[in-house]
Amino acid sequence: MITRRVQYEVVKRAVAPIVTNFETWQKRTKRLLKGKKSKPPFGPPLESVQKLKSLMTRHYLEGRYADGAVPVAWVTSGFPVEILRAMGFHTVYPENHAALCGVQRLVPDLSSAAEEAGYSRSLCSYARTDIGSVLTGNTPVGRLPKPDILACCTNICQTVLYWYRSLANEFGVPLVLIDTPFVYRKMRQHDASYVGDQIKELIAAAEKVTGKRFSTEKLVEVLSLSTESTRLWGECLEASRSKPAPWTGIDGFFHIAPIVTMRGSHACNAYYRHLRDELQHRAKNGIGGIVKEKHRLLWDNLPIWFGVRDLSNQLAQNDFNIVVTTYTNAWAEAGRRMDPKRPYESINEAYTRVLLNENLEARLELMSRLCKEYSVDGVLLHSDRSCKPYSVGQVDIKDQLAKKLGVKVLLLEADHNDPRAFAQEQASNRLQAFMESFE
Amino acid sequence: MNRNAYIDEQKGKFQRKALAVLPIYYPKEILTALDILSVELWGPPGPPRGADVGRVQAYVCALVRNALAFIAAKGVDKADGLLFPHTCDSIQGLASVVADMGGWEKPIFNYVHPKGELRPSAKRFVTEELGALVAELEAFGGQSLEPSRLKEAIELHREIDAVKDTLRIRRKFLPQNDSQLYQTLRRGEYLWPEEHLQELQALQKDLGNDVAQNGVPLLLSGIVPEPMDIFEHLNAAGAFVAADDYAAIGRRIIGTRMDTNANMDSLVDDRFAAPPCSTLSSDPKSRLHFLDKLLELSGAKGVIMHTIAFCEPELFDIPAIKVHLEKRNIPLLMLETEMESECSGPTITRIEAFVEMVESYRSAA
Repeated sequence: MITRRVQYEVVKRAVAPIVTNFETWQKRTKRLLKGKKSKPPFGPPLESVQKLKSLMTRHYLEGRYADGAVPVAWVTSGFPVEILRAMGFHTVYPENHAALCGVQRLVPDLSSAAEEAGYSRSLCSYARTDIGSVLTGNTPVGRLPKPDILACCTNICQTVLYWYRSLANEFGVPLVLIDTPFVYRKMRQHDASYVGDQIKELIAAAEKVTGKRFSTEKLVEVLSLSTESTRLWGECLEASRSKPAPWTGIDGFFHIAPIVTMRGSHACNAYYRHLRDELQHRAKNGIGGIVKEKHRLLWDNLPIWFGVRDLSNQLAQNDFNIVVTTYTNAWAEAGRRMDPKRPYESINEAYTRVLLNENLEARLELMSRLCKEYSVDGVLLHSDRSCKPYSVGQVDIKDQLAKKLGVKVLLLEADHNDPRAFAQEQASNRLQAFMESFE
Repeated sequence: MNRNAYIDEQKGKFQRKALAVLPIYYPKEILTALDILSVELWGPPGPPRGADVGRVQAYVCALVRNALAFIAAKGVDKADGLLFPHTCDSIQGLASVVADMGGWEKPIFNYVHPKGELRPSAKRFVTEELGALVAELEAFGGQSLEPSRLKEAIELHREIDAVKDTLRIRRKFLPQNDSQLYQTLRRGEYLWPEEHLQELQALQKDLGNDVAQNGVPLLLSGIVPEPMDIFEHLNAAGAFVAADDYAAIGRRIIGTRMDTNANMDSLVDDRFAAPPCSTLSSDPKSRLHFLDKLLELSGAKGVIMHTIAFCEPELFDIPAIKVHLEKRNIPLLMLETEMESECSGPTITRIEAFVEMVESYRSAA
């Protein structure tokens, strides 16, 4: 334990910074030699990309040495992580890891391993990816630390509960659950009490795993940082209200990683301050994410991780830019409800009233507001085979948005992580026809 | 008498309101106590009854798509309201589609289940959720929930459970074939409970002392036995359903209860005493234990896992069940259907081949 802790601290404080600084230096030198140029149809690349890569490399590098050194929790993206962070947990986000596998096109192999173990291809491709990774030990990040606890919150779907339970059985560790009742009309008193009770149960479970007493002061400290994280992330997104938007929605999909995996940390906030300043500078100086931004789009649902590059190219080549997405916006919305002065109540509300845990009326309202705030003239709804809670209702939303706002809307069938469930040519043709309809 | 005619009769004779209820778990005792007829909406099976099926993507389970089409096509208009238990992400989504995006103008109720195992927080939530539902249904039904009426209703439903449990345990002594048995069991989805009890008791009287089912005993597990002709094909192939773990049937039978009271607290206890079910997020280990118990009690020699395509809760349990049955050397057939009106040719062939295989194992043993 002591040796492991020393190893972890050395990696965290010395090795990770050296590795990431060296990488940054190497890439900066290459760029200086080549010259910093935009590659039309895209605008100049964001300086922050390198920082993002360093930050995430460091996060996963530290993770390799975390188990046995500090308590480790595998956590869903919508889990009230502030509680765990306040107790010193190193957190791993299987969803983020699965997305990373998706971008690197590792999913068919990993998913096949899960399918051989009996997991149906009809199940969420994130779940299949991560289960496959655990079963085979294959991961693009070198190694994931073994969890001491699995922490899942049903505010994004119930799938995570089944998925995490499979992982808990695989690792033989406890599973803690925050079950957030779906908000059909309004959040009821007993919904809040239920979530509040579970937060107490979570604290007790975390105390048992760590052997430490929970401190509300520490929670307030983490929550303040978390509130700041989400506010800064919101400011990054809001920079796209200007015309042209200083980055693309696809960029946003990648820059979301710290808010998902590291919110409530100084490193996360330092990163988003840098990104926000860069975006605001670009917005002020008319530097766009794409060179010629003719049409502005809203994207709904998760990204198609394995196909973002093709999508990005096709859109930019036709002068279309995704300027806002419901997915990236979700983390900014949640932060507005966090309040360090009311830590428990505000965590309760912030994590219950998230996009996927509220009814379609609330989602339609949000999307209408975003369309207006970001001056959107078209909407792409990713009908995601792997994500039922996000996708059920999209057909009606499509009709309602077109009717109420007069925007053009396309429902694009795909999957967020499994290229085998995606008809590339067909989707590309549909997207092309959609864009031509703007002429 | 079809369901619509039956609803009309219940309204005419008893002035009962009817509530169409989506699958699966809901406190039916409360509805009975408030004199509300519950009519369960399992699809219906067969081709979708209307164009609104297209409002939900084809990769969502057929039960949900069919239900939306049916509701929007006014198929449920005899009912005075809709109740959506929070069964899975897709039914939760359907509840919001119907309420927020149109297709139904009458009252809508939601009943939220806590997910996961029994925890103090979950128990308290069930108590309060039941209370909230009672308040809404009292307003809907126009009468208060009297403790004496609730007691009677709970006792009535316990009697139904007890008869079903007996039929389950003594299945092989019952002469009826599976189609006849399941038609009676499933009439409980819409009959007034007292009538349903009478039908079940009539069946119970047929229980003899001699074994009436000599076919290959099988355990069937899944959400709902659709298409229903699966039973004809099973029987024709020489098998019978010796044990039932369908969420629509067997998983809703609480055999033994610790609590002998009959009040709201008993309903809370019942929620956690029910057999394990994927849609209640029961631990798969407890489900394996339950399946073992069913296999032991019934003497079933093979298992058919009959899933509805895209049913995430059920599909997540499959890997553990496969491994477990393999270890126990119990033959398993995986069947995936989509609420069709009848079994396809390949499905029938697979059933026949499976029964033949289990029979050959049995003979060899």
